[in-house]
Amino acid sequence: MKKWLLLLLTVILGLIGLAGCSNDDTASGDGKVEITYGFWDKKQVAAIDEVIKLFNEKYPDIKVKTEITPYGQYFQKLETAATGAALPDVMWMNGAHVQQYAEGKVILPLTDLAKKDNYSLDNYPKSLTDLYTVKGEIFGIPKDFDTTGLWYNKKIFDEAGVPYPDDSWDWNKLKEVAKKLTDKDKDIWGFAATMGNQGGYYDLIWQNGGYIISDDGKSAGFDQPEAIEALNYNISFIKEGLSPTQAQMTETAVSELFSSGKVAMMFDGPWMVQEYKNNPDINVAVVPKGKQRAVSIHGLANVIAANTKHKDAAWKFVQFLGSKEAAEIFAKTGTVIPAYNDTQDAWVQAVPTINLQAFIDGVDYSVPLPNEKRTGEIWQYETDVLKKVWSEEESIEDGVKELTEKANEALSKK
Amino acid sequence: MKEHPLQIKMNTNTKLKVSNLTKTRKSSDFFWAYLMIAPTMLGLFIFYLWPIFQTFYFSFTEWGAFGQFEWTGLDNYKRMLEDTNLLKSFKNTGIYIIFTVPIGIILSILIAVLLNQKIKGKSVYRTLYFLPVITMPAAIAMVWKWLYNSDYGLLNYILSLFGIKGPQWVSDPKIALYSIIVVAIWSGIGYNMVIFLSGLQGIPKSYYEAAEIDGAGPISVFFKITLPLLSPVIFFVSITSLIGAFQVFDLIFMMIGKSSTALESTQSVVYLFYQHAFVLNDKGYAAAIAVLLLVVILIITAIQMVLQKKWVHYD
Amino acid sequence: MEKTRQLVKSKTFLIHFVLIVGSVAMVMPFLWMILTSLKTYAESIHVPPVIFPKDLQWGNFIEVFGLLPFFKFMFNTFIITVVRTAGQLFLCSLAAYAFARIEFPGRNILFLLALSVLMVPGQVFLLPQYMIMVKLGWLNTLQAVIVPGMFSAFGTFLLRQFFMGLPKELEEAARLDGCNHFQIYWKVMLPLAKPGLIALGIFTTLWSWNELMWPMIVNSSPESMTLSVGLSSLQGQYLTNYPVLMAGSFLAILSMLVLFIILQKQFIEGIAVTGGK
Repeated sequence: MKKWLLLLLTVILGLIGLAGCSNDDTASGDGKVEITYGFWDKKQVAAIDEVIKLFNEKYPDIKVKTEITPYGQYFQKLETAATGAALPDVMWMNGAHVQQYAEGKVILPLTDLAKKDNYSLDNYPKSLTDLYTVKGEIFGIPKDFDTTGLWYNKKIFDEAGVPYPDDSWDWNKLKEVAKKLTDKDKDIWGFAATMGNQGGYYDLIWQNGGYIISDDGKSAGFDQPEAIEALNYNISFIKEGLSPTQAQMTETAVSELFSSGKVAMMFDGPWMVQEYKNNPDINVAVVPKGKQRAVSIHGLANVIAANTKHKDAAWKFVQFLGSKEAAEIFAKTGTVIPAYNDTQDAWVQAVPTINLQAFIDGVDYSVPLPNEKRTGEIWQYETDVLKKVWSEEESIEDGVKELTEKANEALSKK
Repeated sequence: MKEHPLQIKMNTNTKLKVSNLTKTRKSSDFFWAYLMIAPTMLGLFIFYLWPIFQTFYFSFTEWGAFGQFEWTGLDNYKRMLEDTNLLKSFKNTGIYIIFTVPIGIILSILIAVLLNQKIKGKSVYRTLYFLPVITMPAAIAMVWKWLYNSDYGLLNYILSLFGIKGPQWVSDPKIALYSIIVVAIWSGIGYNMVIFLSGLQGIPKSYYEAAEIDGAGPISVFFKITLPLLSPVIFFVSITSLIGAFQVFDLIFMMIGKSSTALESTQSVVYLFYQHAFVLNDKGYAAAIAVLLLVVILIITAIQMVLQKKWVHYD
Repeated sequence: MEKTRQLVKSKTFLIHFVLIVGSVAMVMPFLWMILTSLKTYAESIHVPPVIFPKDLQWGNFIEVFGLLPFFKFMFNTFIITVVRTAGQLFLCSLAAYAFARIEFPGRNILFLLALSVLMVPGQVFLLPQYMIMVKLGWLNTLQAVIVPGMFSAFGTFLLRQFFMGLPKELEEAARLDGCNHFQIYWKVMLPLAKPGLIALGIFTTLWSWNELMWPMIVNSSPESMTLSVGLSSLQGQYLTNYPVLMAGSFLAILSMLVLFIILQKQFIEGIAVTGGK
């Protein structure tokens, strides 16, 4: 009995004792350091593992540990971790949050580091480096970018004897084909009108000549006639029974309905390539045009935590992630469109069965996502309000009025 | 359990009594007592008692982006008055309690009474009813969400066999809360049943024998003997299940997605607390919600304590 | 006589009928979980549903292991549960003994203070507890989950009731033998309070194994996640691929299920004790 007690005490004390050093144990004596890399997309794990392997051939002393958090919780976790000074050393950042994190001094400005190492930022599209520049300082090295495409299921088209989508399509054509393909008996919907902003209603609003946030950054444009018309068009698919309802889409994920042949067409980004590439029925085309052509463009960047204990190692890793070498690995696996200039062709060729060029074509007429400081907050309001509109609990007019008020209030805050 | 004399003395023993014990033994007693309670009291103080005051303090503050906060007086409480979501969450929690607690108790008494009869296979039944108790709520929520799926769920398929078009159990704002209530009752029956069963076994056989001689039927035996003698246990279970039901979170968090249209009509007070504290980073307001929750629970428990005198029979 | 026998028979039949209907409702979700976990995705969303999968898809389980470090989660949950339970049993019984069997100044006040914790809903502690973890730098560590869970007002209260019910003679005898309080507690009282210890042990084990909110708040890294949190993140990443989700759920509940089947009697008696007096 006494022995048992002694053992227990040792365990407890051991655990508590361990706590004290858990933050420093990464810097063990033999010069090896360990850094953590936080991101959200499980589909990129394979590519990232390969990049890390390559990185370690160059820097065998820097061990990289990956940390995946689902997107739905990612920024919430980061914020929590930032409060507790427990951020990963290197992590993914998006345009909606970069301002907030930069101004909160949670992430490291990289301008001086880049200057010191002669690291050129000209290798990336300017729209992306601009996105991660806050008050003249660059905070993130662009990693990849994505536009929108019209994904479709060839089998459903073939069975209905309808030609595949091409670049001549417009809104009317999309609607017309969706009607033809919808087959209640076979449980097939023509189009999935998902409630997403990027690759969803943002694209449609832009195609209709509307805007999300005004150029001066002071007001939201959800209540403008162009935006209302675009939302109307989007929701009409649900109203007319051509799309699963909002409830159905929350209960069973659309991407799964689509890949199992229950939805014929949907808008989505290139991040789905990994998921769909082994399905011979699936292909992608450019998004149909409205009054004009437009798709969202957005890119992620790698950033460094301001309080990292291994600044040098983290910077070396970020540089490597931004290198041509790493971009080629991402291109090869077809995971995402690498941001490094001229590696995009390799990406298009990575999955020959899918017409990935459609995403690259979109770049010419793409519109960047808003990156105001309060964007994250506005996105929250969009979900809260628009889900009522999508489930037809609230009229579009009432919904956009409420949303615009909330968004404007957020924009007016400092 | 019998009351030990010590328990009675407990309330009056503040003055030091020197009886058969010597002074030295007394101080060695004190030494041991303090030593033995020290770890627990210290832990309770650091992690539980002091936090009560801190939460109270936080409820008067507003939090910025990454951990800094400032004193804003009664702002959070003022904000509560206008917060329709908070009001709704209390309403949701209220409905949840009104259904889960009484129905849960009635069903578990029923099962316990049936299991207390002379029948075969008792322990098998008991095990089956107890299964949900040992299952983690996260897994329970997941499987029920699947059963409830409006297009591919088993439940709507069974209904369709009878020609009924099943509803959208977890997406329809009017129904979702009740769907969660069903799961809560389902997963709680086993726990309460076991407690009632041990309560029933504590009722002396002689009562039943006497009733049988008087020629009372099973129904009147149940209401005249079983129920009154079980009332202290029922009281205990109703208090604990009420407090538990007030804190419902796991099921809602797992079953209702953030973009679900049913979120507003299902989110509980604790869900809202979690949202404000750890998602929206609105920790001051979250603290105020926690304080309000504490006050409400204390009031309701106090009411129950008063009411129990009317219906609980202690022998 | 014949009549009463028939009456008894039909009564027994009725009881069994009600109990069986209830049992089916209790077990069906578990069966559906297992069946779904062995289906292909297409089978799972087939209308009308496929009840028995054509080929058993064990790959769903492999997929769960491939995507999340499930063994790691299991190990984390195991460590957390064991240390919390052992810690509570020891610390609570120690304090409970002192509160029940020793008279000392301030005993009532201190005990009431401990009891007051029982009246307060857990959410009231969460924010400050979280801030403590932040200050200690314990986020994403197992001790962040373990340490606050080692102290329990409930456990102290429960075990105090047990110690109070034990006869004083035993203690007196031990004292005459020159035992100090720790020795009395350890050698005499603890063995006698075994039913209470088992009850508290079962209670803490179940709570620890299944808890969701606190581990979710303090541990977001897969290195230190528990099963419950892992399961919720599986849902986050896997959206609605139910065969994989069900495989994950089944894996998550399996070990507790096995433990329950082995220690059934202790589980049920233990719960009865924590709920009774």
